[in-house]
Amino acid sequence: MPYRYGVALVALVVGGAMAFPACGSSSATSPSSTAPRTAWGDPDLQGVWRYEGTIPLERPARLGDRASLTEQEVAEQQKLEQEQSANRLAGREGAAVGRRSVGESPIRGNEYNSFWQDHGRPRQVSARTSLIVDPPDGRLPFTADARKAEARSAARYGVGPFESYLDPDTGERCLTDGVTGMMWQGPNGGHNRIVQSPGFVTILHEEYRDRRVIPVDGRPHQNIRQWFGDAVGRWEGDTLIVDTTNFVDRTNYEWASIWTRPSESLHLVERFKRIDSNTMEYTITVEDPTTFTRPWTAVIPISRLSADTQIYEYACHEGNYAMPNLLRGGRIDAARTTSSR
Amino acid sequence: MRAGPRVAVTMALVAALSACTSSTGQPASYVAPRTADGAPDLNGVWQTLNTANYDIQAHPARPALAIMPAAPRTGTPGLVRATHTDLPVPALRPLGAVGGVPAGAGVVEGDEIPYQPWALAKKKENAEHWLERDPEIKCFMPGVPRATYMPYPFQILQSTNAILMAYEFAGTTRTIHLEKVGNSPSPSWMGWSRGRWDGDTLVVDTTDFNEETWFDRAGNFHSDALKVVERYTPVSPYHLMYEATIEDPKVFTRPWKIRMPLYRRFDADARIREYKCVEFVEQLMYGQVGAIDPATGTVNR
Repeated sequence: MPYRYGVALVALVVGGAMAFPACGSSSATSPSSTAPRTAWGDPDLQGVWRYEGTIPLERPARLGDRASLTEQEVAEQQKLEQEQSANRLAGREGAAVGRRSVGESPIRGNEYNSFWQDHGRPRQVSARTSLIVDPPDGRLPFTADARKAEARSAARYGVGPFESYLDPDTGERCLTDGVTGMMWQGPNGGHNRIVQSPGFVTILHEEYRDRRVIPVDGRPHQNIRQWFGDAVGRWEGDTLIVDTTNFVDRTNYEWASIWTRPSESLHLVERFKRIDSNTMEYTITVEDPTTFTRPWTAVIPISRLSADTQIYEYACHEGNYAMPNLLRGGRIDAARTTSSR
Repeated sequence: MRAGPRVAVTMALVAALSACTSSTGQPASYVAPRTADGAPDLNGVWQTLNTANYDIQAHPARPALAIMPAAPRTGTPGLVRATHTDLPVPALRPLGAVGGVPAGAGVVEGDEIPYQPWALAKKKENAEHWLERDPEIKCFMPGVPRATYMPYPFQILQSTNAILMAYEFAGTTRTIHLEKVGNSPSPSWMGWSRGRWDGDTLVVDTTDFNEETWFDRAGNFHSDALKVVERYTPVSPYHLMYEATIEDPKVFTRPWKIRMPLYRRFDADARIREYKCVEFVEQLMYGQVGAIDPATGTVNR
């Protein structure tokens, strides 16, 4: 009995401390904050979120050093979005609905036929010319080696050769498309559900059923490398800051979008800041000397979808009929090449 | 929000003072601590300590998951009456004692699974073809209730309107909807789960399953008519009693129940980690299909 009583008291102390971890800092930094809170007092980021904007990751080369579009350009873009949206709803295909090549696609996966994307409405147009805000030219600061690798992998993507299951990219293997784009990309829509519980923020990314259970209870980094690294979160005012290290790179070939490639030297810092009830400013700072000459930062406005939005089961590996078919095709190709030698 | 700890104090004191132990060893009237919004608090990392994933029914120890009878003995006369044991199939023999199956009392109420006759025959056939058929081997999502008693932890992450069951195996997550939610658009591996509180017990109704998952490594199976009602009842700060009622009129003659305790993992830094087993099974599933098998580096002919 005394033991049991002691356990209950310990639980109380821990529970009480966990209920108000952010009170001090939040009142210091934003005394008039009206950001929604969870029942236990953390800023509330819950809901289903998705990037619905048109801003590309990198500034298109034709825009040079222009950080903003003109009013006229924004109006034209808006008109285009309206037209493409109407065409999508009418079931049209191809360029009319904004289908782009892999290289041009601002959203990974938009190279697919557009019916995979549920753009039931026009995307949000902005005057910004790139999600990347640093470096100021809005371009990824690739090392020379990474740039070569990007060219090689872009040439291979969707082309092959596919000699074994290690040759398709990690998405096609139903593993993941990586953490860097998880909150705002996805071949089938890029929906993310954030669920909070005391001490944890969990992000469920629909594609590949990627899941990150991020502790925000003050525990340190662990010493285990994982595909999604080792995330540690903390609240700074109303902003969630997630620091992730300890990534692995077991990808056999260079990813089609090589900037999403994790390497062991990747250090990712994310900031989640709700700026109104339906918009979150999501900021990523990527530091990885293996791939980039300097850290870079992108600011991504993501939207909260209606409260009844669900994310659904993504049984990718369970139904990966594409993999054996791709490999059988690759084998026939290989045999043909060999016999012609 | 600020009332939360006060409620918790009251509840914990009630729990501490009222806890007594029944003859079965279970506290008879444990009251769980409350979350900040007043629900029973089931947050934590949980795991079973049993052999249900090998076989939900009672089973003796055996040398391997896939066994074959020993050949009749033809050696020295006089020794032929030595009792021979079944042997692991050749693929599993190098594992030795590591590959053995521990005995278990089973978790099925009454130890009987009320199969229809055709279904009992299919269960036996599944067991004989375990190595080719068990979805666990292929890293497929384990379904419900199997996800609960696989030998991996899972975490209950409890929010106000939804509860997540985040399983380590194959990175599978169930969302338990506490609010009114529409119907599932299609059958799925982990089903469509709606939760409610019955006193301190979380009751989860799960429907809309496909027919791909199993209950264990013994070939116990179900159809797409499966319905599972789970009950998670806190019985101490470190234990939940887990009970699941299985109903599937296509396969069973009546509903049946399983029951087992879940244990709180309170190791330092207890948490679920990645077990992305897809990459562990690619060679098994696709190694022979492509032009080159990475396991050998050789060209497949």
